[in-house]
Amino acid sequence: MGGQVLRPAFPGRRTLLVVIKNAVRYLVRDAARNWVRNLGSTAPALGSMTILLLLSGIAGLGWYTLRSATARASADAAVLHVYLRDDAKQADVDTLRQNLAGNPRVVRVTYVSKADALKKAARRPGLPDLTAVADPNPFPASFDLMVRSVQDVGGLAGSVQHDPAVDPLLPTSYEPGAYQRLQQLLTWVGVAGLVLMLLLAFVAVTVTANSVRAAIHSRRDELMIMQLVGARRWMVRGPFLVEGALTGGAAGIIAGLVTLIVGVSVVGIGAANFAQIAPGLTTGVAILAGAVVLLVGVGLGSGSSLLGVRRHLET
Amino acid sequence: MSPLLEFYGVARSFGERVALDDVNFALERGEFAFLVGPTGAGKTTLLKLVNREIRPTAGEVWIDGVAAHTLKSTRVAELRRRVGVVFQDFKLLPRLTAVENVSFGLQVTDLRISDQEALDRAQDALDAVGLGDRADAFPAELSGGQQQRVAIARALAPQPPMLVADEPTGNLDLETAWQVMTLLQDVSRFGTAVLVATHNVEIVKRLQRRVLTLVEGRLVRDQPAGRVGRLAWAVKS
Repeated sequence: MGGQVLRPAFPGRRTLLVVIKNAVRYLVRDAARNWVRNLGSTAPALGSMTILLLLSGIAGLGWYTLRSATARASADAAVLHVYLRDDAKQADVDTLRQNLAGNPRVVRVTYVSKADALKKAARRPGLPDLTAVADPNPFPASFDLMVRSVQDVGGLAGSVQHDPAVDPLLPTSYEPGAYQRLQQLLTWVGVAGLVLMLLLAFVAVTVTANSVRAAIHSRRDELMIMQLVGARRWMVRGPFLVEGALTGGAAGIIAGLVTLIVGVSVVGIGAANFAQIAPGLTTGVAILAGAVVLLVGVGLGSGSSLLGVRRHLET
Repeated sequence: MSPLLEFYGVARSFGERVALDDVNFALERGEFAFLVGPTGAGKTTLLKLVNREIRPTAGEVWIDGVAAHTLKSTRVAELRRRVGVVFQDFKLLPRLTAVENVSFGLQVTDLRISDQEALDRAQDALDAVGLGDRADAFPAELSGGQQQRVAIARALAPQPPMLVADEPTGNLDLETAWQVMTLLQDVSRFGTAVLVATHNVEIVKRLQRRVLTLVEGRLVRDQPAGRVGRLAWAVKS
């Protein structure tokens, strides 16, 4: 009869378990308990950090949308539509095509007939109804030119506007300065957003550091005893970093969820109305933004606490 | 074997005020010594140098082979685990029982100590100071003398080679003070060096242990054990 095999715990592993248990108790559990107990004094830090993260999340989504729009505009800016007269002679159209194809500034020439233009328009948000009632077809035939450089678009548009095959009322899709204006807007929004975020971050860090100061003050006896009996520095400071991380994490969860809800709502509204309210914004991007907000919150909370601990906790 | 505690030409100033000036002495392992002197003589400053709460302005402080005067702040905890500290106001955590106060001190300095081991060692330390039967009492339920015993148990539980006590009997009546001093004397008999700062002339005279006298920051007299007669500072003050 075989006896039962006893497998006593390996001492090293047991020691490791004891260390983990004690570390969790003194760093995490006590920190969480103190955090809950001091929620009243932590509230200003929690509030300011939530506002900061919320604004950052929303601004981040806005900036991402604007960047996507700029990228799209940049790609569109290199395409020039040369609109043809409805009554243009085939010989004039062929000549124009040959001239454009031979132009070194042009990479590719594509002919789009009136019927193709109507089909394209029907695919655009908000236009299907219009194309259904429009009779006769109001969209002109065109040559779509892929231009080698965005800088060449203006010159090329000027060179074809008096061609006999080109529509004299709306010769091309060229709109001077549109792309540059978008770029400028993106830069200004970025700078303004950054300044605002830095200001808010400064407020949040200062408020959090002060709440850590209050927490240190309320536990000064315990901390002094820990220091005097020889507790390691990370044992003394650790709980405050965890408390800061909890503050940042809580703020991050609130702000991250709101960011996610806003992002998903915008995507949903856009889909419902068949309109692109925020180009490039998808549910995945909204989830990513929410997660980033949460992580930034945890990092900011811990960092602010570290700052407060370094400033206010003597060793 | 080299002394456990060594002071070489130690000075400490706070701005213009000189708290300690050219202090030289050594304390052997298991030795018991009193540190006496009038208020403001520099006793607490000297004890803070031993525990590396402050650094000397000049000179060297060696504790158990560690140069406390040059010790980096990241390594201070290491030194403090070799020096038990007892205060006049006990500094016990009111929300913890006596045994928890002692085990707390053990576990925050060494995370490898399990709950059971910490409680066992804390109970042993309380037994050693005669408070084994009050282990589950909260500080508020203990007398001053009992609280000081718990503080001594906490300082001794990690078995440090040295114990410093700053006015440990300052808040106690003479009878209780005498019991606490007897306990500290017993501690030194088990090999722990003990340095006690006190104002209590009666106890110093009765115990007849080594006496270091500080006056205005200077070590003016070093009387060996058994030869303690007149205490100059006590007469002056």
